[in-house]
Amino acid sequence: MAEKTTIARPYAKAVFALAREQGKLDAWLKTLVRAATVVTDTRVEPLLSNPRVTPAGLADLVVDIAGGGLDETGRNFFKVLAANRRLGYLPEIAAIFAHLKSEAERSIDVTVTSAVLLSADQQKKLAAAVEKRLARTVRLHSKLDPSLIGGAVLRAGDLVIDGSLKGRLDRLESELASG
Amino acid sequence: MSIKASEISDLIKSRIEKFQSTTEARNVGTVVTVTDGICRVHGLADARYGEMLEFPGNTFGLALNLEQDSVGAVVLGEYKHITEGDTVKTTNRILEVPVGPELLGRVVDALGQPIDGKGPIKSSRQAPIERVAPGVIFRKSVSQPVQTGYKAVDSMVPVGRGQRELIIGDRQTGKTALAIDTIINQKGSGVKCIYVAIGQKQASIANVVRKLEENGAMAHTIVVAASASVPAAMQYLAPYSGCTMGEYFMDNGEDALIIYDDLTKQAWAYRQISLLLKRPPGREAYPGDVFYLHSRLLERSARVNAEYVEKATGGKVKGKTGSLTGLPIIETQAGDVTAFVPTNVISITDGQIFLETDLFNAGIRPAMNAGISVSRVGGAAQTDIIKRLGGGIRLALAQYRELAAFSQFASDLDEATRKQLERGVRVTEVMKQKQYAPMSVAEMALSIYAVNSGYMDKVERNKVVAFEVALQAFARSNHAASIKAINDKPVLKEHEATLKKICEDFVATGAY
Repeated sequence: MAEKTTIARPYAKAVFALAREQGKLDAWLKTLVRAATVVTDTRVEPLLSNPRVTPAGLADLVVDIAGGGLDETGRNFFKVLAANRRLGYLPEIAAIFAHLKSEAERSIDVTVTSAVLLSADQQKKLAAAVEKRLARTVRLHSKLDPSLIGGAVLRAGDLVIDGSLKGRLDRLESELASG
Repeated sequence: MSIKASEISDLIKSRIEKFQSTTEARNVGTVVTVTDGICRVHGLADARYGEMLEFPGNTFGLALNLEQDSVGAVVLGEYKHITEGDTVKTTNRILEVPVGPELLGRVVDALGQPIDGKGPIKSSRQAPIERVAPGVIFRKSVSQPVQTGYKAVDSMVPVGRGQRELIIGDRQTGKTALAIDTIINQKGSGVKCIYVAIGQKQASIANVVRKLEENGAMAHTIVVAASASVPAAMQYLAPYSGCTMGEYFMDNGEDALIIYDDLTKQAWAYRQISLLLKRPPGREAYPGDVFYLHSRLLERSARVNAEYVEKATGGKVKGKTGSLTGLPIIETQAGDVTAFVPTNVISITDGQIFLETDLFNAGIRPAMNAGISVSRVGGAAQTDIIKRLGGGIRLALAQYRELAAFSQFASDLDEATRKQLERGVRVTEVMKQKQYAPMSVAEMALSIYAVNSGYMDKVERNKVVAFEVALQAFARSNHAASIKAINDKPVLKEHEATLKKICEDFVATGAY
């Protein structure tokens, strides 16, 4: 996993710089996500390592399905990837691209996992609180997990704020077990 | 002893009451790979170098490699229950061990947890295991001796408080024996001892602890044990933990002695960790920082001045210097001192005691090679009487070695040469000493004086040991007061006449 991101990073950075120059960040993200879906498709995946399929053919395939509205440079990006046999890294490239885009826009994806469904008002309050803490615009995604018993867990990147009953019980358990 | 159910529930109740339930915000990551105690963790963007990481199941790790997307960490202790996908959290703490006088007499592991079954250690103080050594401003030169109790060592390669003296030799040459005897000889001298066992057999460690207990030396000793069966991470950390425990005494204006037995195995453990962390291998497959591994450890052995102690204790202890003497042990393979780790440690320390298999097998024990064993700073710390008498020993042995090689070709030797050879043989005999029989300064002085002044020249060479034993016994029974006087004030000028009288009285009795 770590190694894959290392390979994907320079491509993602390059395509991000390109997209920024063109001012087409949103369009590029959509294309990359679509292309990532294409290469992870079970029918396409075996082709990536098939020696009979030429890199040019692969690039054409991906561009045909995912690259609607791409200009010359856009198509060239997929050709370079294909020539280097790195099309399989598109999911990682898309993920890093999305991360770079969020950084540039000073926004962040936050996942709220709660034991009971949050009301729209609660979500709004939560988003406002997280926005204040992280000083970023927040895109809130909510998930439901009854095993938390009560409360909620917020996850923004590597940061986790655990306010669930389950988390507190876990901490109590380790506190008692540590002697 | 029965435990009442109510007692347990009361205990749990008080624990629960004390439990602080705050919502925690922490940096987390996921385990990607687990290989022989090394975990690669994806995420953990905020982890810092050397920070403690919390794994599931009350297990902790140490962040050692900070990479672009992941963190390489060693697991401290058992790692079999960690699986791919487990969540790892940062703790914002660095590794600490308990310190203080409460640890004396105990056997602990590399994290300071007791493993001797004598119950928990009631120490309220903790100190980080990695610390920067005291700076030059706070150091004081070595001026007080650490008596090992061995005639050969104390007369020819003296060790001072705060010195680092390497004990080096092949397997089975008495390296540990020398170290253990030194600990035993510290009884009553106020020097606290720490024995760090790294990568040894559990049986050997148990044996050492038993010997220390039998000789009443456990009361002033802490044993830090990282046996061959514990994970490499613990073997790597054990010397640093022990050093931290020793530094506590140094910081409080006391004298401490630490023995690392042995640093070769620690380097092996570190090599294993480094290779699993994918750090590039260098000479003998050791990582690039194996010199720093030992230099930063041994640099923490020091003698510090009164200002340092006053600062460290917050003004509670005034006008006292502190010291931490280091006796690292290195095991060589077939006498090869030019291997990587031996050369490194030789260059770091303030001298070395070479123990040799040939001498050991020839019955010369301690099997110290007097020619290549040196102490670069200990001379300043030697007691006056031993310093003056010991000079003769070194000279006699040096001349003896030169002539012994030369005389093998000549059958006819002149009187002077023959005399020197005879003297050399006797000095070598006198330097022999049994295990667990450390000698006081006065006893040493008597033996050395007797051989230097020629009282043993007429004794047959195989009777020299018996002569010495009888001489010591004679002095103990007939001149106990003089022996005590020498120990109280070990200056040669005042006692030369006494030593002469004891020797002459003894020779007159002819009881040998």
